Order: sequence, then C-alpha cells, then structure tokens
Amino acid sequence: MGFRHFKFGLTLIGFALLVACQDTITDPIDPADDLRDIPYHPISYIPNIPFGFPSLEQPADNPMTIDGIRLGRKLFFDPILSIDSTISCSSCHLPELSFADGLAFSQGVNGTTARGSMSIINVGFHNNRFFWDGRAATLEDQAHMPVEDPIEMGELWENVVLKLKSHSTYPEDFRKAFGIERKTEINKDLATKAIAQFERSVISGGTTKYDRFIKGEIFLEEDEYNGYLMFFDFDPTIPDAECGHCHNAPLFAAEDFFNNGLQASADLLGFADPGLGKVTGNISDNGKFKAPTLRNAEYTAPYMHNGSFQTLEEIIEHYNSGGLNSPNKSPLIRPLHLTPSQKSDLLAFLLTLSDSTIHTNPEYQSPF
Amino acid sequence: MKNILFFLVAVGVLGLISCKDDDETTYGTLTINVKAVYDGEPLSTFSTYDFDNGEDIQFSLISLMLSDIDLLNQAAGTPISDIALADMSFDNLTAAEKGFTIKSMNIKTGSYTGIRFGIGVKPDINAMKPADFPSTNPLSNTSYYWIPWSSYIFSKTEGLLDTLGTGLFDLPFALHTGSDGLYVELEGGLPIVIESQKDTQLDIIVDYKDLLSSIPIKHNPLNHNPEDLATITALVNNYATSIYLAQ
Repeated sequence: MGFRHFKFGLTLIGFALLVACQDTITDPIDPADDLRDIPYHPISYIPNIPFGFPSLEQPADNPMTIDGIRLGRKLFFDPILSIDSTISCSSCHLPELSFADGLAFSQGVNGTTARGSMSIINVGFHNNRFFWDGRAATLEDQAHMPVEDPIEMGELWENVVLKLKSHSTYPEDFRKAFGIERKTEINKDLATKAIAQFERSVISGGTTKYDRFIKGEIFLEEDEYNGYLMFFDFDPTIPDAECGHCHNAPLFAAEDFFNNGLQASADLLGFADPGLGKVTGNISDNGKFKAPTLRNAEYTAPYMHNGSFQTLEEIIEHYNSGGLNSPNKSPLIRPLHLTPSQKSDLLAFLLTLSDSTIHTNPEYQSPF
Repeated sequence: MKNILFFLVAVGVLGLISCKDDDETTYGTLTINVKAVYDGEPLSTFSTYDFDNGEDIQFSLISLMLSDIDLLNQAAGTPISDIALADMSFDNLTAAEKGFTIKSMNIKTGSYTGIRFGIGVKPDINAMKPADFPSTNPLSNTSYYWIPWSSYIFSKTEGLLDTLGTGLFDLPFALHTGSDGLYVELEGGLPIVIESQKDTQLDIIVDYKDLLSSIPIKHNPLNHNPEDLATITALVNNYATSIYLAQ
C-alpha cells in the first residue's frame, strides 16, 4: 500500500517536472516585447591611448563596444533621464566646454546644485572614487546617481526605465549594445553601463603642446619651460610651485583627495562643505576634495568644487598665497613667494595642456 | 551487481588515499598589521604629542611603501606580498590600534624565523612609472611618484609642528622619502608559527618618536630638493631603530 502511494507520488512529481520544463522551453515572448530579430554583433572598442597614459581599464562585466558607446552617448545627451525632460548629462558636461558647464554651481531641474561640474575628460583612467567628494565607487555608480538626485534630474530610475522601454528606438539600441532579447530586460544597470562606456571613451591627450614636448617633437617657449620646471620642481634654484603633487603627469590629476586651502576652519569640524569627510565619516577627511585634471583647464572655468575662481590667474594667486588655514590643509599648500614673472610662466605652462580638438570631435557630439 | 559495488568501493578507497597524499601539505594564513605608535602609544592623526625642545607635533599622513615581504626560514624566503602601501593615517584610536592590514593566505604551515621587507622599491621597479601598473597595484598611484627624483615616494610623514608651544600648530611639514639610494631592506628575527587553517598575527610597529629622532623638522619642513637629501637620509637611517616586530 505504502509502496503504491510512493509510486504514485513519484509519477506525480515527474509529471509536474515535465510540465514545468515544457513551460520553460516553450515560454513564448510577447511579440511586442521580442527583440530577437534585431542583430546582435558586439564589436569591441579599441581606445586610442595617448603616449605615456596608463591602460584604460574596463570592468569585466562592462567591456566597451561600439554599440555600447553609441547607446551611452545617446543617453548622455538625452534629457529623457530627467523628470521634465529638460536636463541631460550633457547639460552640465558640454563638449564645447571640455565637458564642464562654465558655471560655479550647476543647474538641475530643481534649481542650483551644491557644487560645480567636473570635466569628464580622461575620467576612464580613474579608478578610485568619483565626484568631488568621492561618493561613487565606480564610474557606473557615478552615472547612476544624478538621475535620482532631487536637484539634478529629480527622476526615479523606474520611470526612466519605463520611458526607455516604450521608446521608439532605445529598445533596439539596448539590444545592439547588450544582446538583450526582450524590452523588459532594459534596466538602470544597463543604462548606466552604457553611459559609463561613453564616458570612458572621452579621451584627451597626446597632441597638446606639453605632450608633444614630452615626446621630443617640439621645444617649449622659455616661459612655458620655466613654468614646467616650477610645476614639477625640477630646478631647486627656482621656486617649487608644488603643483605636481596633486596634479601629476600624465593625467595632471590624482586619485587622492586633498584639502587645498579653500575653506578656513579652526578645527576639523568647522568646514562649511566637508567633502570627502561626509562620505567616509572620518573627520580628518573633512574639507578634502578630489584633485581634478588640469588638462584643458583653459576651458573649464570657473574652478574648484565651489567655483571660487574665475580665471587661472586667480588660482595661481590662491596657491601663491598659501590658501586659507585649517588643521588638515595639505602641508604643500604654503606661501610660494612667486614673482609676477614666475606666475606668468606657470600660467604659460598650464596653457600647454590644452586640447581644443575635443570640443569638436564628432565622436563626442550630441547624436540628436 | 556485487561486482559493481566492489568496483565503486575500490574507487572510493583509491580516491581517499590520493586525497590523503595531497593533504600532507597544509596551509595557514598570516595577517600583518602595520601600526604607528608614538613613544610606544598608538598614534592617531591630529592628536598632539611631545616633540623636541618643548615643541608639540601632530601627524596628518603617515605611510610606508612596503615591498617584497618574505617570511624567512633560515635564509629561504616565502613570499607574502610584492607591494603594499601601508597607510597608517587613522583619526581614531581603535583603527590606529588595529593598523593597516596585509593578509596573506595559503602559507605553508611550519616554523619561520623572521620576516624581511623593503621600504620603497628596488631600482628595477623604481625605474618604472605609475602608468606601467594596473590600478589595483599601489604602484599605479601617481601621488606616490615624484617626477624630479624619477622615483616612487617610499614613505610620507606629514603633519604640523607647534614650534612655540602655544597650541598653535604653526609649521606644516612634509617629509617624503624616495630615490634608489634610499631604498632599504629590513630583516627582523621573531619565531613565527603558521598553523594549518589558522590565522597568525604579526605586527610591524613604527615608532614615530624614534623615527623622527634628531630630524630637524623646524629647519627643513619640506624636502623636495633633489640635491638636498640630508634630512630624509637621516630619517631613513632611523628605520632600524624605530621599526620592530611583535606578536
């Protein structure tokens, strides 16, 4: 009797498994959701790495492809990401301004943000903490955040995803970029991966006056060369401008964060904008911010996280003065005692880092 | 049926025997804690310590680039880590007491006689540049490369000095070491036992009071002049008396 029940039970389980398997195998895709007719032939993107640059590392789960970058560029320039379709990534990162926006504080859908936008040129070569305060661990994380920031784009990702799924062309773009089979597979992770791919493709270097000098193709002018010596402290007989510590070649940036004397504070808790410290919770990180690239600094005014300075001359003057005091100000930010001529030389060197071709490079322009 | 059963049992026994052979080599874990102290007490950043001649000192950044860390068994070395940037800048005592951790798995069990490591990198590595390394390698950090020296920065000791003893820390200092001539290798003897599937703890302790002993910070608070390495040479010479091992 017991054995008969056991047999019956086994048969029932077998039948149930068969039905379940059949369901899996023949599950039909709603034709309106089906993207499988669209070809998926991913072609790897081979970046053109400038002389002396590090390799461009790509996450294993987000390798750059031609179609991935194409989709990322489209999303980057499309205000569809914001709640009222007025703000795109490119609103604060304009190609013609070296991917900055010319404002002290960037504008979002709900007013003015707390900080200026950083240029994204060569951002793909960075691998440690993004934004001025380092609140994003990866470039993909960074691309994720502005959408749901109430001031920047003020939108929910679930709404963005709905808009993308029902869009006339995006489902095809996602299929080509990531090989998805259904529109319903479109999600925020794929969207931010695509944006990060495009951002990694924004590379500037190799053709500036500085780069050509380093390659031995040209000489710098005398003032530029003097500035170069002071920037990197090559010549102990002239002042060390202390620039190279935080803006080292070849990127003229750093992965680290520094207090560069922009805010006065008697103690570690008195900073109006704590920057990195708010993210890490370490009071010794208060007042520290990411050192941005000086490549194309000629075009990215105003400067610093709070747009403190309108011109490169003002920046040089700030560092020459030694900045405002606080306990964790970098010890390298100190009065430099540069003469007007030396300041002028330093400026001349900074201008050798300019690459205006990036402003008109068709690969970085809006596809709309 | 009986034959099949016999065959299966035989295969099983064979498998067990072969597994036993493999297991003869056993492994454990070594955790190295690189800790900063000042006069024997845990050092936290922005705490005040007595320096020389009534001066007080605070630290903001203290780090060592450690390379080629080997466990020693007589003369033979067992590699632990190629490179580690030990940043000991902690602003709370709990973290400072714990130190910067370097964990190494799968070390053969046994008794070791000590440890050897470099402070800085050997000339062949120092001839390379941050762009030559992947981002996961500490040597990719451009903040630890100084172009005028054509060298990595082997250590950073930064902070503030209260030169008048008034509580106003008026003198920032930054002592960075580097260049081929200032690479040093230290070897410390201490019985270290690695046990199977257990974690052995080892502390590398840097006493910054001893490290900065007789360093004229007040007169030479910054040391980037490639032709004036006297101050940082003195600091490097203090490694042997300021760095020790403990368990």
